[in-house]
Amino acid sequence: MGGVGGGVGFLLDEVGVYCEFEMATEQKTVTEDAKIDLFEDDDEFEEFEINEEWEDKEEGKDVAQQWEDDWDDDDVNDDFSLQLRRELENNTEKT
Amino acid sequence: MAYLSMGEAHRRITDYLNRFSDAVFSQDVSSLKQLLSFSSNSPFLISLADALNLFQDANRLIKQSDKYSQFGDIILPLFRSLQNYRTGNLVESYQAFEKSANAFIQEFRNWESAWALEALYVLAYEIRVLAERADRELASTGKSPEKLKAAGSYLMKVFGVLAGKGAKRVGALYVTCQLFKIYFKLGTVHLCRSVIRSIETARIFDFEEFPKRDKVTYMYYTGRLEVFNENFPAADQKLSYSLMHCNPQNGANIRMILKYLIPVKLSIGILPKDSILVKFDLVEYSNIVQALRRGDLRLLRQALQDHEDQFLRSGVYLVLEKLELQVYQRLLKKIYIIQKQKDPSKAHQMKLEVIVKALKWLEMDMDVDEVECIVAILIYKNLVKGYFAHKSKVVVLSKQDPFPKLNGKPVNS
Repeated sequence: MGGVGGGVGFLLDEVGVYCEFEMATEQKTVTEDAKIDLFEDDDEFEEFEINEEWEDKEEGKDVAQQWEDDWDDDDVNDDFSLQLRRELENNTEKT
Repeated sequence: MAYLSMGEAHRRITDYLNRFSDAVFSQDVSSLKQLLSFSSNSPFLISLADALNLFQDANRLIKQSDKYSQFGDIILPLFRSLQNYRTGNLVESYQAFEKSANAFIQEFRNWESAWALEALYVLAYEIRVLAERADRELASTGKSPEKLKAAGSYLMKVFGVLAGKGAKRVGALYVTCQLFKIYFKLGTVHLCRSVIRSIETARIFDFEEFPKRDKVTYMYYTGRLEVFNENFPAADQKLSYSLMHCNPQNGANIRMILKYLIPVKLSIGILPKDSILVKFDLVEYSNIVQALRRGDLRLLRQALQDHEDQFLRSGVYLVLEKLELQVYQRLLKKIYIIQKQKDPSKAHQMKLEVIVKALKWLEMDMDVDEVECIVAILIYKNLVKGYFAHKSKVVVLSKQDPFPKLNGKPVNS
């Protein structure tokens, strides 16, 4: 990556590239038992007990509400924006 | 091992045989389950295994009585499997277990009601985890691990028995989830497709009628598949379902759902609050979220680099990399607002040179042509509304809504 190459490159590839699922199944070496090349899935869902029951409420919905879709505000008083403003103004003076 | 007399061994084996046939005759599934659950390492099964290893001739006991011998095809290989399990010969144990499980499914097929479904669940789970351990044993002796694949074939057979009409169908989703775990581990996720089709096109059975634990697991895995296919609205819907209905006590599973849901949400312009990143230890996403908020391309690249291995392993790297366009949009918007505060009348004319300078500040060296190319893409993807005054190297922004929000939709492709 880096530079425009990375930025635009993937856009141009995007149409042709069909991402197969190799990522999730990367081979992993289990260090403790010598060298074993076995497929692994790091994110294997834990088993629920066969008769495990629970109420849906609380946490699930709680977590489900932890999203923001109106973050893209017009506020430019954060540190990053203040520095950006300084950069742009500096540069304008120079030119 | 404590001293075990032959008489005691004999007693334990007949005890098991009686329990097994009684459980089947009285359709007592909770007893039957216990008799099959090797991985529970119950004292009962361990002491039975020791008895079998001492007695050696359980075959004769089984054949002595019709009550036992009618289940001989299930029990004999099961005994052999248990003996090997106890002595740590997991490949042998697996082979015998598969034989027993095949005989079990034959019986199960003939039972009209679905009373034994939970016992079948136990078999489906046990065969998978036993196969994994057997494969580890095979690999450690330099042989090719193939048992997990074999367990997958067995479970496909079980799926076929369950997936028809009738009361047994409610068990099909559990088996599907076990199959998903196998396919994800083996890297053969394309095999998920046929089971998914069978589950989702069935008119005779409403998805909501499946047990909740299976629905949550199913939606997690199919959601992950949608992430890999870059079908973000579908991924969002499935993973959100899984999140909403997951057992709130199971933090590990909630974390895994979020691990995939967060990149999906980001790609449709929705950010997680910091509190969940901290609570579920997903701070690898913190700087990415921050980069989006700020329009900080440098931070995005840094964050991708810092956690590259992790993101590649879980397969979300490409999803996150594409957030770059949204970060560009945010940066341009900030420049626009800053210009507007200075001189509202000229704010909608943005010199490409200004963008070049902002990028230089972010340690990204681009010339005007390259920046023009980026802005053209942003316009094409409807992240910016405007047109170029090519000669004067200015992008003229629309006065109305120059930076359209994604509003829960993915970036145009």
